[in-house]
Amino acid sequence: MKKFFKKTHRMFKLHRIFIKQDLKRLMEYKVDFLTGAVGMLLTQAINLFFLSIIFSQIPDLKGYTFEKIIFIYGFSLLPKAIDHLFFDNLWSIGYFIIRKGDFDKYLTRPVSTLFAVTVEKFQVDAFGELVVGIAFLCVSIPNVNLDVSFLNILLFIVSVFFATFIFTGVKLITSSIAFWTKQSGNITYMFYMVNDFAKYPTTIYNRALSFIITFIIPFAFTAFFPASYFLGNGNALFNIGGTAMMAVILMAVGIFVWNKGVSSYESAGS
Amino acid sequence: MIYVENLRKEFKKVVKEPGLKGSIKSFFKPKNEIITAVDDISFHVPKGEIMGFIGPNGAGKSTVIKMLTGILTPTSGKCEIGGQIPYKNRKNYVKEIGVVFGQRTQLWWDLALRETYTVLKEIYEVDNEQYKKRMAFLNEVLELDDFITSPVRTLSLGQRMRADIAASLLHSPKVLFLDEPTIGLDVVVKDNIRGAIKAINAEEQTTVILTTHDLQDVENLCDRIVMIDKGSKVFDGAIDELKSRYGQSRELRFIPADFKTAEKLDYKREFNLTDDDILVENDGHIISVKFNSDTVSVEKMLSYTLSVTHVNDINVGDADIEEIIKDIYKSGVNPSA
Repeated sequence: MKKFFKKTHRMFKLHRIFIKQDLKRLMEYKVDFLTGAVGMLLTQAINLFFLSIIFSQIPDLKGYTFEKIIFIYGFSLLPKAIDHLFFDNLWSIGYFIIRKGDFDKYLTRPVSTLFAVTVEKFQVDAFGELVVGIAFLCVSIPNVNLDVSFLNILLFIVSVFFATFIFTGVKLITSSIAFWTKQSGNITYMFYMVNDFAKYPTTIYNRALSFIITFIIPFAFTAFFPASYFLGNGNALFNIGGTAMMAVILMAVGIFVWNKGVSSYESAGS
Repeated sequence: MIYVENLRKEFKKVVKEPGLKGSIKSFFKPKNEIITAVDDISFHVPKGEIMGFIGPNGAGKSTVIKMLTGILTPTSGKCEIGGQIPYKNRKNYVKEIGVVFGQRTQLWWDLALRETYTVLKEIYEVDNEQYKKRMAFLNEVLELDDFITSPVRTLSLGQRMRADIAASLLHSPKVLFLDEPTIGLDVVVKDNIRGAIKAINAEEQTTVILTTHDLQDVENLCDRIVMIDKGSKVFDGAIDELKSRYGQSRELRFIPADFKTAEKLDYKREFNLTDDDILVENDGHIISVKFNSDTVSVEKMLSYTLSVTHVNDINVGDADIEEIIKDIYKSGVNPSA
């Protein structure tokens, strides 16, 4: 127990140091940061604009009003942003770290490779998403008849936490494929983009698609299911328990595939 | 300190026919070929030794280094360093070693160099006291002070290499692996780096394994060399042994003032040599004479040449390491000899 505590403490310490370093890096490239953050804001603004156009034509979407959709949307941005903030470097694994043999250096350090890779990048662009997400929630909550109880706040935090690891898990599994194929960034991209469907009620999709985003690439659990629970639909066991279960399964598979991948890593000629 | 026994590494390679058609065909029906990069290599390095690990490009040097540093898992065979097996319990093992790959950096590209060291200090859990002492020592031998506050991306290659070596030594490793630490560097920086390696080896009895293509590195630093080619060991012994066994291969190069008189040079007759002893090449601009300084001394060679022709420029150099390896490989040395 003491050992575990010491280990976790060290991990947090390292994390803090890296974040500090990354913020310093940010100061080196101010323009890049500003463009990134503004870009994120712009993307979300355009999405919101289109949603409002759609809802100016229809009163509701399968029983979901504009405000409710904004709530789900806002919810979906939180886990996405947190994953983005801490685990963005997984993209680089699939796109070039393995292909170029740059994974070597992580293997020569006395920390877990997964930790060493993810800790190295603190993607501050994600603050754009985070800010927009929180803003959407703040705007929609007064209009959706939400029960703001202590239990619900707790469940909210729990579901955002686990939903984050659904994103991370999907990225982890698909990026690890690169250990065998040398490059898997496009596979990650393909799977990751499915999260776009999670912002809307699964009921609006046909059965096949709905099944896929619920059970195969379970992004529905990152937004629609937990968010709709807070809107008074569904039950905690499926909507929030499901989120936790999917996160645990994906992360377990991800870590397993990652470790298998590391042992068959082939480096690159130099 | 380091025991390597029958180490072997195979890679699977997809064979493709040329062109887009070939690529598409191999996508649907991949044909695999097994390539043996390292084939049954064994050697032993005692503590405190500087071992030169040499061989031509693609001989498998880096693959061996990567297996010894725990980056690659061997297909078969054994390696043990300081009682540990690299690819097992990796996290514990890498605390005992330092690694520098000359072709790549392990420094954080966007940060000031000093920051890299503070991050590494935490990763390797070096305490403050020790860290201060260590940085002072590394500063002294590698002269980092001039650029320690600059971002890594602005460093010159020579500075970066010194910085990388310092980074690999921060945690006082028992074994240091240097994969081409002098590649692409000028003479002054090479000298500085060689000095540093010597100092560290003398100070702390650090065992060093060094790969290089620079014969000067080997002569200056190494107590012993292991030479490999095509994945197999072709020589293992002291550097003097190599020289006495394979002679002193030298190359005399000069630009004659006048090619007419230069054509009168006849080394074979003058020194009574056969075709095996000497090789003369004339590209119409520079004349190159490869010879063995055991058979004819450099002095005799020079004085004879200068007595026959005037020259605009002349120098004598070592034949490069590839040349020696080629010779060794051609003559088919028994690796165990």
